[in-house]
Amino acid sequence: MEDRPLDVSELTKTYRRSFGMKSHHAVDSVSFRVAPGEILGFLGPNGAGKTTTIKCILGLLRPTSGSASLWGLRPADPRVRARIGYVPENPDYEDSFTPMEFLRLFASMRGLDAGDAGLRRLLARVGLQGWESSRIRGFSKGMRQRLSLALALQSAPDLLIMDEPTGGLDPIARKEFRDIMLEERARGAAIFLSSHLLSEVETVCDRAVILSRGRKVREGALSDLLANEDRHRIVHLPPGGSSEDRIEETVDSSGLQDRIDAIRQSGGRILEVRPAFRSLEEVFLSAMGGDRG
Amino acid sequence: MRTTLAFAGMTLRSLLRRRTIYGILIVILLALSGIGQVPSFGVEGESTFIVDFGLFGLEIGAMLLAIGLASNIYPRDREQRTAMPLLAVPLSRGQYLGGRFLGAALVQAAALLLSVLGLMAILAIHGYAVPGDLVPAAFLLVVEGWFLLAVVFFFSFWTSPPLNAPLTLLLFIVSQMSVLQFVSLVPTAPGLMRTLRLILPHMDVFRIKDPIAHDFAVPDVYFLLAAFYGLAYTAFMLSVALAVFRTRDLK
Repeated sequence: MEDRPLDVSELTKTYRRSFGMKSHHAVDSVSFRVAPGEILGFLGPNGAGKTTTIKCILGLLRPTSGSASLWGLRPADPRVRARIGYVPENPDYEDSFTPMEFLRLFASMRGLDAGDAGLRRLLARVGLQGWESSRIRGFSKGMRQRLSLALALQSAPDLLIMDEPTGGLDPIARKEFRDIMLEERARGAAIFLSSHLLSEVETVCDRAVILSRGRKVREGALSDLLANEDRHRIVHLPPGGSSEDRIEETVDSSGLQDRIDAIRQSGGRILEVRPAFRSLEEVFLSAMGGDRG
Repeated sequence: MRTTLAFAGMTLRSLLRRRTIYGILIVILLALSGIGQVPSFGVEGESTFIVDFGLFGLEIGAMLLAIGLASNIYPRDREQRTAMPLLAVPLSRGQYLGGRFLGAALVQAAALLLSVLGLMAILAIHGYAVPGDLVPAAFLLVVEGWFLLAVVFFFSFWTSPPLNAPLTLLLFIVSQMSVLQFVSLVPTAPGLMRTLRLILPHMDVFRIKDPIAHDFAVPDVYFLLAAFYGLAYTAFMLSVALAVFRTRDLK
């Protein structure tokens, strides 16, 4: 078994339409990888193909071409299933069951020997303490998301695949979800996080892939994506100035050298020159604009 | 196997918590109790009448149970997205189908055996002895029910629940026909129709109400062979259903 949890290569999913209508490429030649212990953000607007990609990764959809492999194996391989946790978008469950019943059943299906105490701890971890024996019928969307997370975490997975996990959650619950993601990464798990909540991705992800209309339009470490190659930030001191007088300014990269020379010639001291950072929203909108343009 | 059995247990609980099973069971029991109230109009012996119509009613009941229990399981799982987390992680498609079938088969068997007990009670209330072959006939009925259940699962993977019921009914009717009756549907292609009839299930092997109602002895080996045929065809239908299911995308 390979070390890399997820390897998506030239993945394409095309939906054929009948009566001579054009085929629709939901995902078009998308490739990326997830390394052990990293959180990969998977970004894109609605209809970009994020959920389709996830379903191909999980074996729920058959790719038209290309492949998705987990630790070098097919998604349907039982050895793979034992190592992944999945948090679906808008999950729904048999609503006549209680969370405890569900966790017991999933434990049994997974061949886990989980006692009730462990299951209660797991429910408490996702914020469902006190709801262990309540029917899911009465659960809000956010509570169903929490149950979904508990089911995904139950087997201490090596790869967590999360599809818009915080969509129906309030800000406090989102923070709790983020903390759990970071705890899981610290444990060594890799996380594949599909989201259109840019702040969330910016906070927790190591790398990001941006998808637009089924195609990958950006990929990279978050620090690289956010770095603005066109603009630089210069931190300098005026002639004879102390650290309290430091000046920060942003300049176009094309005029960077001239500006540095000018500061030096005037007797100033350069403290730091670094690429100016953009927000992920700016990166995202620029990627979308470029793709649409 | 442990995974399939655990999922079957979940299916069993889920089906028992829905109202469908109880509704169908009440209809079957009401129909059976109605048979005991209908005058036999000179048919030789009221017990013959009750057993004959009772077993016929149970056969229809087996079909209703199969449709009521299974036609909506997969479409509902897909529509409500409950299938996604199940099929993404703990279950393979084979385990999903196996678990769903096993759970539904147990509920259906229990409902049918309860209905047979109801028929026996009606005979007893009217002061008639229960025919000796009614018990093996009940088990044959359960096998027939399982076969119909497999048919319903097969149809549920490529058609909607409203279409599933007429298709199952059509197969139920066609598979009760003799070769001659079947050929007479398209008399211009007798060879093709004969071959088709050979391939289609022969559910007429389960129809033993006449000999039982008229107190003719049915050899034990017949029950065994019919049960074997039914179970083999059920396994075949489930294999075809799984082959279809494996090609299905879960959008």
